[in-house]
Amino acid sequence: MDPYKVLGVTPQTSDDDVKRAYRELARKYHPDNYVNNPLADLAEARMKEINEAYDMIMNARNASKSGSGASQSQQNYQNRQSGTGIYAQIRNAITSGNLAMAEELLMRSPTRDAEWYFLMGTVYFRKGWYDEAQRCYTQACSMEPNNFEYRNALNNLNMGANYGGYRPMNSANACDCCAQLLCFNCLLNCCCGGGC
Amino acid sequence: MFGFIRPFKPELRVREVERFQAVYCGLCHELKRKYGRLQTYFLSYDMAFFSLVIDAVCEPDFGTQRCRCDASPFRKKNVCCSSPSLSYAADVSVLLTYHKVNDSIQDERGIKRLAARFLRWFLQHDYQKASQAHPQLNQTMCDCLSELHAIEQAQTASLDRPADTFARLLAAAVPASYPSNIKRVLSQMFYHVGRWIYLLDACTDLEEDFKSNSYNPIRLRFSLQTPSLSSVRTTLEHTLERSLLDIHTACQLLTLYRDQGLIENIIDLGLPIITRQVLDGTYHANGGHETHGSL
Repeated sequence: MDPYKVLGVTPQTSDDDVKRAYRELARKYHPDNYVNNPLADLAEARMKEINEAYDMIMNARNASKSGSGASQSQQNYQNRQSGTGIYAQIRNAITSGNLAMAEELLMRSPTRDAEWYFLMGTVYFRKGWYDEAQRCYTQACSMEPNNFEYRNALNNLNMGANYGGYRPMNSANACDCCAQLLCFNCLLNCCCGGGC
Repeated sequence: MFGFIRPFKPELRVREVERFQAVYCGLCHELKRKYGRLQTYFLSYDMAFFSLVIDAVCEPDFGTQRCRCDASPFRKKNVCCSSPSLSYAADVSVLLTYHKVNDSIQDERGIKRLAARFLRWFLQHDYQKASQAHPQLNQTMCDCLSELHAIEQAQTASLDRPADTFARLLAAAVPASYPSNIKRVLSQMFYHVGRWIYLLDACTDLEEDFKSNSYNPIRLRFSLQTPSLSSVRTTLEHTLERSLLDIHTACQLLTLYRDQGLIENIIDLGLPIITRQVLDGTYHANGGHETHGSL
């Protein structure tokens, strides 16, 4: 692995610019952008590669600076509480990515309580069936309005595009888009004195 | 059904405009070379995007050449040279065209159905050639479409169920010969491209479906009484935006050997703009499907 190639920089690039390139890439492949995404493992692998490349460059350049950002991707995002019996089984199936089994178990389950709707919503979420997921999560939340997990899931679904990097609908208008770019450019010029 | 996917031209570089044009023309020439002139009339921007993406993940660059065509008989244009990915995209285009005409025969009545039957007769030969080259893909397409037909017949009041069939159809179109990791990413990407196309198509057809009283998932899902999207706009926007986000995040995981700016322009600007136009009802005022064929 050529760490410079991974970060898209050269050995001549300054430390600050390497850091900037690293931050840009880390923001792009951050696990938060791939929650419930079937490609999460690939993003994680990419993130690991970026972290390693950054560490390699920084270690080589200055041992004391290394590791400053490398621990970001090591968080574990599977904070599932285990429920009782069948639901625990379903949660396991979802966590291990076996959606077909999770769906099958849900369909066979006789009860239709809030947790059922929540888990069904999660299966739909994973499959990319966002409208069905929304319906299930909303149902779960209305049955148990105080459950943090369900509310969190619904928010997560609704705020999906809201991590700052990619706001398709907001920048959709041609004028808006240009205006934003213009403002952004002005800001850049102010901050960096037009030097970058 | 096809033609929603296009770049947002004001933000493109001149060479990117030329590049998109060259891919579009390249695909057109490839269709003509492999299948004859008739197929070129069914070429869409969606297929140009498809071939742009499946070509960009392959390392070898086959370059461009300058040649004339029916649409530009005097001035030579930059056209992508024939390549395995263009050839494959041409096959997929032929299969999709045939299935679309078949779909019209099932859905339409009267003169339109007759015209579709007539057309199918001309397309039959090309279809057989393409399906023999990709029997498995064709089988998946047939299965997905018959599933979709059953869902329509049952008047299913869901957005995702019918959209899923079309999404899987498009996801299956990713070349089987690609390395598995690339295939996974492309499948996820085109799954959501397919979902987006299906739902957007349902939005544009809403009025017509109300008139002819035919199946429309949006009408049934929201129990709409009038053909107006204004009351359900936010919900639709959310769900479409999620698909766009998935296309974006999948694309980020691809190693693109060329055309990155162009592909990102299409995904991050082109698709959201079309979405907004369709939801606002300004899609047709902005040219709609009629701008098809010329950038």
